[in-house]
Amino acid sequence: MKRLHKSGLRTLQCAAILAAGLVSSSAWAGIYNDGKVLLTGGVFTVDGAGGGGAVPWATISGYETRDGINGSAGFTYVNLPALQVSFYGVNVGLFDRVELSYVDSRLSLNLPNLQTVALVADAAGLDVGTDAWNSTLGMQTYGVKVRLFGDAVYTSDSWIPQVAVGGLYKDNRNVALIHTLGADKTKDYEIYVAATKVLFPISTLVNVTARYTSANEDGLTGFGYCNGGSQTDCHNKRKVRAEVSIAHLVAKNTAIGGEWQQHGSNLDGRSVNVAGLDLSGLTGLLGSAGLGGLSGALTQKKEGDWYDLFMAYAPNKHISFVVAYLMFGNIAVAPAQNGFYFATHLTF
Amino acid sequence: MKRSKISLALATGVTLLVAAAAQPAFAGESKTKPIMGIPSSAVADFGGAYGVHNWVESLFYYIMLDNRINYIFKEFGNVDRQIALNTQLEQMVLGGPNNYQGASMSAAHADLGITMTQFNAVVEAAYNACERNEIKYYACNDLIAALAPFTRVIVTK
Ligand code: HEM
Repeated sequence: MKRLHKSGLRTLQCAAILAAGLVSSSAWAGIYNDGKVLLTGGVFTVDGAGGGGAVPWATISGYETRDGINGSAGFTYVNLPALQVSFYGVNVGLFDRVELSYVDSRLSLNLPNLQTVALVADAAGLDVGTDAWNSTLGMQTYGVKVRLFGDAVYTSDSWIPQVAVGGLYKDNRNVALIHTLGADKTKDYEIYVAATKVLFPISTLVNVTARYTSANEDGLTGFGYCNGGSQTDCHNKRKVRAEVSIAHLVAKNTAIGGEWQQHGSNLDGRSVNVAGLDLSGLTGLLGSAGLGGLSGALTQKKEGDWYDLFMAYAPNKHISFVVAYLMFGNIAVAPAQNGFYFATHLTF
Repeated sequence: MKRSKISLALATGVTLLVAAAAQPAFAGESKTKPIMGIPSSAVADFGGAYGVHNWVESLFYYIMLDNRINYIFKEFGNVDRQIALNTQLEQMVLGGPNNYQGASMSAAHADLGITMTQFNAVVEAAYNACERNEIKYYACNDLIAALAPFTRVIVTK
C-alpha cells in the first residue's frame, strides 16, 4: 500500500518536472506566440469560442498567429432581473487555424413564480429540478473551430472575408429542470459558419454567423420542445439561425458595437411542465393558497432574440474587459429581460 | 547561332528601354486598390508630405526598439534608405504622387523569410508612430488599409 502510494507520488513528481520542462524549454518558447495585433482575435463568447459576447466569429481565439499557439481563460457574468449566469472557460488557438474551447456555465433562476412551483413541488414531494431558494441550470460547452480560408485583417483589397466553421456540444446538468421547462433534449450539438472582415477605412469589424441549432436560450434551457407537458411527444428540429456582430474600433485598444442573435420559438406559449402533471390540479392547490393567477404566469413567453451593445477594452495583450447592455427579451416565464454583462478575458 | 543570341539580347534590351520610357522612372511598385478606397484627404490627414516623412521616421524609431524585428533591419536593411523609400511609397499608396524609386515589395522582401508575427510587429510600430505623431487613429487605419495588400508578398513564411 505504502509502496503504491510512493510510486504514485513519484509518477506525479515526474509529470510535474516534465510539465515544467515543457513550459520552460526552448521548444515551448518556439511555439508560444502572441503576435496578433491587439483585439484582432476577438474576445471570449459565452460559448467559449473566440468572437464577440454571444456571437462566435471566424477569428481564432488567442493572440497567436500562424506561427504558434496561444491560450486564454474567460469569465463572464450576466445579471438580468430574473436570472444571473456565470460562465467560466478556457480555449486554445493553434496556428491561427484551429481553436478548442470549454465553458462551464451556471444560471441561477430568481423567479417568484417558479419558486412557488418549487415550494408546491416540494410540498407534494415531486422532483422537478427546482429548488425553492436556488434553482440552478448548469451547462458545459465543448467547442472546436477551424478557419477555412481568408484573412479577416489584411485582405483590404478584396471583399472575401475570413471564414471558419465550428461545432459546439452542450450538456446540461439539471435534466429535471430542463424537462420542467418543456425542452426535449438536455444535450445537443450546434454547428456554425462564421465570416469576419475588418474594414479599415471605417475602422469596423463585421461578422455574420449562421448557426444550425435547436437551442432554447443558447441551450441554457435545453433544446427542442415537448408537447402536452410530458416527455413523450418531443421534437428537436434544428434550423439555421442568423447572428451578426459589428464592432467599431475607436482606438487600437477599444471597440464599441452591437450584436444580434436570432432565437427560436420552441417553448413559446408552453406551460411549465411540472413532472408531467396537468397544471389544473396544481392551480386548484395554488388557488386555495391565494395564487389563482399563477397558472397563467407559468406559461412561457415568446423567446426573444438576443441583442446587446458592448464596449471592449484591451489595455494590453494579456487582459481585456467587456461591459455590455443586454436586451434578451422574454426568457422562459420571465418577461423583458434587460440587464448587464461583464466579461474579462485573460490571454497568455 | 551566336548571331541570333546576340540579336535576342539586343531585342530584349530595346524592349526594356521602351517599357522604362513608357512608365515613370523606377516604378518598382504600384498603388494598392483597397475595396473601400482611400479618402482624398489621406495625405493631408498625415500632415502632407512632410507629415508622412515624420511618420516614417517614427516608424523606424519604434521598429528599432522592438527586439522581435530590429535585428532583421540591422542585418539586412539600411534604415536611412528605407526611410526615404518608405516616405515615397506611403505617399503613393495614400493617393499622393508616385515617386517611388525602390524595389517591388516582393523583390525587397522575398529572401527575408518574414513571418506573420514579424509583420504584425511592424504594424504595431505603425500604430505607435501614429500616436506619437498625433495622427488620428482613423487616418492611421487608412494607411494600414493601403499597405495591407502587400502582406501577401512580404510574409513568405
Ligand atoms: C507593409 C509593410 C512593409 C512595407 C510597406 C515595407 C516597405 C519596404 C521598402 C519600401 C523597402 C525598400 C526597398 C528597396 O530597398 O528598394 C523595404 C526593404 C526592407 N524591408 Fe520592408 N516593408 C514592410 C514590411 C517589412 C517587414 C515586416 C520587415 C521585417 C520584419 C521588413 C524588412 C525589410 C528589410 C530588412 C528591407 C531591406 C531589404 C534590402 O535592402 O535588401 N519589411 N521595405
